[in-house]
Amino acid sequence: MAVDASSSVFNLSVLESLNEDSVREMVESWNRFCSASEALLGGTGDLSFGSEFISQAQILCKHGLQSLVQQHFLRSIEEVFEKNGATSFWRHFEPYRNVAALEINNDPMQTDEIQEVLCKALEEISSEKLYEEKCLWMLVHALQSQSGNKSDRHINADAQNVPLFSKYQLMVSSVLMTSLPRHFPEILHWYFKGRLEELSTIMEEDDENDNELKVEDDMDVDERSKLAFQSGDMDVDGCHHHRRFSENNKLVKNIGMVVRNLRSLGLTSMAEDAYASAIYLLLKDKVQGLAGDDFRNSVLESIKGWIQAVPLQFLRALLSYLGDSTNYAFPSTGLKSPLASRPSSCCFGSEAPSEGLVRWQLRLEYFAYETLQDLRIAKLFDIIVDYPDSAPAIDDLKLCLEYTGQHTKLVDSFISSLRYRLLTAGASTNDILHQYVSTIKALRTIDPAGVFLEVVGEPIREYLKGRKDTVKCIVTMLTDGTGGSNSVSGSSGDSLLEELNRDEENQENTNVDDDVNTDDKQAWINAQSWEPDPVEADPLKGSRNRRKVDILGMIVGIIGSKDQLVNEYRVMLAEKLLNKYDYEIDSEIRTLELLKIHFGESSMQRCEIMLNDLIDSKRTNTNIKATIKQQPPPELEEHEESLDILSATIISSNFWPPIQDEALLLPAPVDQLLSDYAKRFNQIKTPRKLLWKKNLGTVKLELQFEDREVQFTVTPLQASIIMQFQEHKSWSSKDLAAAVGVPVDVLNRRISFWVSKGVLTESVGVDADSHLFDLVDAMGDNGKTGATSGSCEELMLGDDDGERAVASVEDQLRKEMTVYEKFIMGMLTNFGSMALDRIHNTLKMFCIADPPYDKSLQQLQSFLSGLVAEEKLEFRDGMYLLKK
Amino acid sequence: MTTTMNSESSNNSNTPSTAPVMTSSKQPLQTAKTVDTQSVLKRLQSELMALMMSGDSGISAFPEEDNIFCWKGTITGSKDTVFEGTEYKLSLSFPTDYPFKAPKVKFETGCFHPNVDVYGNICLDILQDKWSSAYDVRTILLSIQSLLGEPNTSSPLNTQAASLWGNQEEYRKMVEKLYKPSS
Repeated sequence: MAVDASSSVFNLSVLESLNEDSVREMVESWNRFCSASEALLGGTGDLSFGSEFISQAQILCKHGLQSLVQQHFLRSIEEVFEKNGATSFWRHFEPYRNVAALEINNDPMQTDEIQEVLCKALEEISSEKLYEEKCLWMLVHALQSQSGNKSDRHINADAQNVPLFSKYQLMVSSVLMTSLPRHFPEILHWYFKGRLEELSTIMEEDDENDNELKVEDDMDVDERSKLAFQSGDMDVDGCHHHRRFSENNKLVKNIGMVVRNLRSLGLTSMAEDAYASAIYLLLKDKVQGLAGDDFRNSVLESIKGWIQAVPLQFLRALLSYLGDSTNYAFPSTGLKSPLASRPSSCCFGSEAPSEGLVRWQLRLEYFAYETLQDLRIAKLFDIIVDYPDSAPAIDDLKLCLEYTGQHTKLVDSFISSLRYRLLTAGASTNDILHQYVSTIKALRTIDPAGVFLEVVGEPIREYLKGRKDTVKCIVTMLTDGTGGSNSVSGSSGDSLLEELNRDEENQENTNVDDDVNTDDKQAWINAQSWEPDPVEADPLKGSRNRRKVDILGMIVGIIGSKDQLVNEYRVMLAEKLLNKYDYEIDSEIRTLELLKIHFGESSMQRCEIMLNDLIDSKRTNTNIKATIKQQPPPELEEHEESLDILSATIISSNFWPPIQDEALLLPAPVDQLLSDYAKRFNQIKTPRKLLWKKNLGTVKLELQFEDREVQFTVTPLQASIIMQFQEHKSWSSKDLAAAVGVPVDVLNRRISFWVSKGVLTESVGVDADSHLFDLVDAMGDNGKTGATSGSCEELMLGDDDGERAVASVEDQLRKEMTVYEKFIMGMLTNFGSMALDRIHNTLKMFCIADPPYDKSLQQLQSFLSGLVAEEKLEFRDGMYLLKK
Repeated sequence: MTTTMNSESSNNSNTPSTAPVMTSSKQPLQTAKTVDTQSVLKRLQSELMALMMSGDSGISAFPEEDNIFCWKGTITGSKDTVFEGTEYKLSLSFPTDYPFKAPKVKFETGCFHPNVDVYGNICLDILQDKWSSAYDVRTILLSIQSLLGEPNTSSPLNTQAASLWGNQEEYRKMVEKLYKPSS
């Protein structure tokens, strides 16, 4: 035999003393040993050959053939194991080869089947192995007793025998590993997944029952209801679960058994991989299920609780179960992954968590944080859309990011979703601004230093700069909610006003901070509270200006200069003030004061004068009315109205934005009234005279029909139109336009108000251009519904398409631009055609007198395209030229 | 010294009509020596502004892109003259001691005219010996525009044109034949 040669080298000195007898004895016992071991291993658990086996082994050992015996036995065991154990083990999983690959394991029947098969197969192979181990023990005992006889080496007996077992262990795992079918890890994975899911549903059911029971207790009701509200929420309290886990011990034991069997087969790392991935998968599902699309609740705590409750409890049970078993059964297992947690000797339910468990907890929590963070980042846009409500989600995200530090992920993902969803032509400027404000607020929570905000805000700012109505929207946002005009966007609109208020409060604090003369103590406090910029901060951008995340500042930053904003505000304020019919301006004053704090007194000066005009108007108005009482008008003519019904807004027009003037003939009695008022004003305020802007203001009037009376609040033009119908019931549009002193097209536009109210009817007259309007005496049913509420609202509505009282900023800009128009015409006459930027540069260079050219390229472009539209210019191949 | 000069000349440019003869006769040497570009710039600037706002039809001028001393001008022939419907480009080049010296004005477009030679040089008294600092771009352009319709045939630069001037119909044909509008 080949083995002989090697083993004889081992005991060369013995060879010398060999006689024929002993050789014969050895050969004979060798043969008997071989057949005995074969019988022993091949037999079906029958240990009857044991004694023969032992005695022969002992004889051989006596002859110094110990290693030969060991090696031969191991070899035969390997052969047998390979033939019987491994092959039959794998054969169990043969039917599931495709099943695992196709992942149809959602079918519970199949999952159960796999579980059963796995358990059975493991049991089988384990018993096989156990039997083989028994045989090995027999050999070990035989050898041990032999060596014990020989000398005092029995102390080292264990140490000597350990290699034999570890060799065996190694053999088993290598045999299995080499013949491992590819789908086995997947089967394992599915097994653990199924078990874990089962476990977590049991836990949840228990927990819900628990909650229901607990509600009846006089425990903290708030806490209870919160838990009940968040379905599937877990109680962090461990001891309940301990109890429950002992109830579920069977399940855990089952799993533990599988794991232990796998371990003993040397598949430790595979088993660990399998249950770790199953736990992660479950955790991911859980996080996704809990987080979902609901941003109103913080889910982090409940996720943590769930980690405590389900996976950690499971691991605790598993580890301690394995810990118990490994301690007595298996001295050492072969392969161990570095992450594998060594079960400590602590027993089940003990308070001090083992190191392995802590490690698991950290891993799971990190994973949970990361998963939640990824989820939230992906949905960040939506979260910010309903920001104030979604604050808990933001808080969660903040915690997650603190843990994982993946801020850049947030920035990148958010910017791309901004570009994709917000900064498109379809989004209204208002929405973009609101989202911007919400973004500022939300990111301020996540990152108080404002570093990421700076990056994220950049594309929004750039985009908004290109929008024409940005300024207008910002001003509306600033002032809305003051006048009590609760428009649709009212709730979100006042967010900026709130910001204004808040800013005012902060002002004092920051003043202290920025004070140059801060005493040493303050400086010390500042120094102590210093924090380094986050690593992601761009060092090129100064860190000073990002100290304070100032929403208003950032908003104004979009516009570029506060002057533009102030100007727009002035126009808007003028519009608002002119449309008032009482002198209540408290809210405007308040807004103005706030703006003054922010933008400085001097820039708001004109606005202040405008408000003062209103206050003065009120006083003057009362004075004038008082004069009536002192010296009543000589006689009241039939149609003359009392001055009481008139209140005037007297403005210092130099300080107001240009006001649209439109000729208009008021009905004689009203006109009389106005001039009377002006006369009295002149008496009081000599030498000042009153110039009426007759087209401005509001008229409250009541129309008396045959069957009813209706009240309206309308513009003066609309009022004078309807007043003409007092005398004649029918007017042609031409005549009516002449009577009220406006062009026909203006009349047609304005009269549609009355037509829509059902007060007038329109019909085509003799002339195609001239329409005929008739007064409707008795209102039909359809008229009643519409005419009941002729309120201020509708006046505004009517104003939208018509002219506004104050020239808008665009109009003002246009007026300014007409100065430059001559320059543009001049240069184009002499140079033929010019490109946009050359026109821009030329204007910048030569148009420096009063008013200097200070417009942006965009403004110039829009102005030029206006000229093109008016057919004054032509635009060809990127060049502007005069239209011939 | 320089400061007083400054104020004086800027005064001058703002109100060109006040005592132009005085300044031009008394101070030309001094001003030529101490050229104050700033005031010249200011003068040209205000002339440009005045020209742009005046809205005179048929005359126009504008500085070239980066040099306010070089202008391009455009004149259209007045109505009821043989030059009606034509448009001529001019170049105006201002000296650094403007307005104490006249700018050099030339036709860039060929112009068939008794007082304009083939190189575009113009024979006009106010551009030579009759120059006064009271004149400005606008008056120069207006003068040239009226010169088109009322040439001085007694001292012609273009004798052919001068001799043809008597026959307005033929002259008109000649103008149309030679007219090459700038693209």
